Amino acid sequence: MLIYIAKRMWQSLILAFIMSLIVFMGMFVVGDPVEMLADEDFTEQDKIDLAIELGLDKPLYEQYFTFAGNILQGDFGVSYVHNRPVLELIIERLPATLEIALLAMFIGLSIGIPMGIYSGIKSSSKPSRLISFLTTVGYSIPNFWQALLLILVFAVFLKWLPASGRGDTNPLFGIEWSLLSIDGLRHMALPAINLAIYKICMQTRLAKSGTQEVLYQEYMTFARAKGISKQRIIRRHLLRNILIPIVTITGLEVGGLIAFSTVTETVFAWPGIGKLLLDSIHMVDRPVVVAYLILITLMFVFINFVVDVLYAILDPRIRYQK
Amino acid sequence: MQINYLKLAAAVGVFSSLLASSAGADTLRMAYSAAPSTVDPFKSSASPTASLNEHIYEALVSRTDQPLLATSYEWQDNTTLLFHLREGVTFHNGAAFTAQDVVYSACRMMYRVDGKKNMLTSAMSPVTDVKVIDDHTVAFTTLKAYPVLPEKLKSLSILSASQADFTVPLQYDNTGDCGITRYPTRAQFESGEMANGTGKYTLESFANTGDADLVRNPNHWSDGGNWDRVEIRSVKNSGARMAGLLAGDFNLVENPTMEDLESLKDDAAYSSTSTPSWRTIFLILDVGSEQAPGVTAADGSNPLADLRVRKALSLAVNREAIVERLMGGMATVASQFSPSYREGADPTMPDLTYDPEQAKALLAEAGYATGIKMELNVPNDRYINGTRVAQAIAQYFTRVGIEVSLKAEPWSVFKKGRKNRDFGVFMYGWGHPQGAAQMISYAFASRNKDLNLGVSNYSNYHNADFDAAMEKWAVETDKQASHGYLQAAMQVAVDELPGIPLYYQHSIWAHDSNLTVVGRPDERTFADMVSPK
Repeated sequence: MLIYIAKRMWQSLILAFIMSLIVFMGMFVVGDPVEMLADEDFTEQDKIDLAIELGLDKPLYEQYFTFAGNILQGDFGVSYVHNRPVLELIIERLPATLEIALLAMFIGLSIGIPMGIYSGIKSSSKPSRLISFLTTVGYSIPNFWQALLLILVFAVFLKWLPASGRGDTNPLFGIEWSLLSIDGLRHMALPAINLAIYKICMQTRLAKSGTQEVLYQEYMTFARAKGISKQRIIRRHLLRNILIPIVTITGLEVGGLIAFSTVTETVFAWPGIGKLLLDSIHMVDRPVVVAYLILITLMFVFINFVVDVLYAILDPRIRYQK
Repeated sequence: MQINYLKLAAAVGVFSSLLASSAGADTLRMAYSAAPSTVDPFKSSASPTASLNEHIYEALVSRTDQPLLATSYEWQDNTTLLFHLREGVTFHNGAAFTAQDVVYSACRMMYRVDGKKNMLTSAMSPVTDVKVIDDHTVAFTTLKAYPVLPEKLKSLSILSASQADFTVPLQYDNTGDCGITRYPTRAQFESGEMANGTGKYTLESFANTGDADLVRNPNHWSDGGNWDRVEIRSVKNSGARMAGLLAGDFNLVENPTMEDLESLKDDAAYSSTSTPSWRTIFLILDVGSEQAPGVTAADGSNPLADLRVRKALSLAVNREAIVERLMGGMATVASQFSPSYREGADPTMPDLTYDPEQAKALLAEAGYATGIKMELNVPNDRYINGTRVAQAIAQYFTRVGIEVSLKAEPWSVFKKGRKNRDFGVFMYGWGHPQGAAQMISYAFASRNKDLNLGVSNYSNYHNADFDAAMEKWAVETDKQASHGYLQAAMQVAVDELPGIPLYYQHSIWAHDSNLTVVGRPDERTFADMVSPK
């Protein structure tokens, strides 16, 4: 297991390095930070001064090495737009994204799995058909369109919930959380539902197809023949066996929620890191974009690792020796 | 990817108007279309940041030439500008405002925070000294004649010298050293501790997401401050911004889309205000290059070098139709490169006519009846309806026999292309914050480093008469005379068309119908533009 972990870490470092190269080059092609920051009345000299200040006067490879060297010392650079350390910016925005992503995932799992198991067991019943219809609809409606519909119904017509922003927050461990205030929860509701709809549909389908597959395995027939209660069969034999694909997907999806909730965050003006990424791309704020994507790469690697460990716990047959 | 959910809203519009919530009369909640990045007034000149900062800090003279902290100013000689300061003004922290604060603010502007130059310092570069004459008089001295200084100083927000440590008296220098031993830090500005101006509102809180809460300054020197409390949020997505208005989250939102305004008309709970702004939308033509990038003619020449072609392009565009149909009347047809209603511009400049037949005749006369191919470049996320206007222009040009391909790109990509001079023809907008001459002096004058002319001459345009007028304008401190030079230069530009003026953009706000909004021409959104009906 230790060798496996070491190997995984080595791989992730290489991955992060490749990612940093791709992103750095990519951002170099798109836009010119000096042009974006400069006032209309800047002279050539003003622009040259600004470029020197930002270190953009040097050749690309030199910029990359300075950047990579700084990262190795834990310095991700300073945002051109906000004039603050990038890491500080990202960490400040992270809680907003984390709470909304985890809430959405929680909703997705707690509604999706029971619904999926139910419709897997009673696949020809009317409610089950309704569920497959709804999940198809939920899948097919684009995320931003769902968001606008949610705003239209709950914020504009019914005026139950606010349409944008984060609302009041309360501190826990020195971090501000919307989860801990009523106003904050009201603000969270729509973006969380928006993110959750897709997750519900996906988990339902995964659980359903898993259930249908497992249901007709020999050990299930055997368990039934032994006269084990239905509840116990579902909990011990069925649930456990359908969990492997669900865990895999959930891991990746949590990562996706954290990293790329940009559409939802933008529509609901939710001040998370997805919005930070999008705004930074618009403003050609290179340090933020590059650092962000590198951190996200590392996060995905970590999540995948956790998923692998969970496999081993869920299915004792899986071992990581080589 | 603009979704017009409002059309759906209109279907059940009765409901929404019945349910429209009435906001607390004493709190104004505004949604900006982009987030302010800081409350340090010198760090950025971007409009949202400047809009927020204007609530907290004041300059000597307002952008619309109203006296603020200075009651008057005059040129003592060609290089000395005297400001007479308002008496009895106090900062939010209670300190009295004197001439020393002006010197301090100039120093702070030049000071490099964390080793970085402030974005606004270019305004100050010819200033050699800022001197206290007496408690309420201050003198700015420049190296050479610099008539636009009063305009440039409109971005010098006045801070209180009480926030720094120094040995009196302050000695201005252009590194911002000034004998100051300690400046407040950025964090102190951002926490609001040092956000200490003389403005109508004091800062209660600022988050790095750009959210700001402000409260009325009861000690302001005017009886201003229409609101007890002002909350500024920013929502970039225009659909979501409008939803926030309809949901009652906001009382006023910036920059609604034309489609949204259309649906808003049916709803009595909301209205909109449109104010002519200083921004002119125009095309820039590369008239001076051998080959204009993206523009070709059958005979291999640069067709834009021919004045008849440029005149034909101008004649081909129906500005009235663009303004009426595409902009819903919320724009003003342009007859020159800065708005005719801007101070210094000639308000009687005749309209540019629309006559496609004459355009065709001119093209034929120039030998380009067919064969011109042109790439029209436009930023797709910058100007109101920008891409649609560009599409219309492409069609107008096509009608007179020019083959146009439209290239719409995000602002960041567009700006890089412009800088690299990849564009033979592009659409652009200029806000003219520093007066009616600013744009043409930058865009059409030959490069003159001494006088700072022609910095962005992407037209590669050179005209002796034009240059002569601009060179005189650049050193003339007498307003009337300087307006005369400007108008002479403008006349040349309109006759010669190194660019094609299209229209003057309006600033638009959508808001609760129980509010009166008196918009500003400088595209900023300020709480005291708004008052309860």
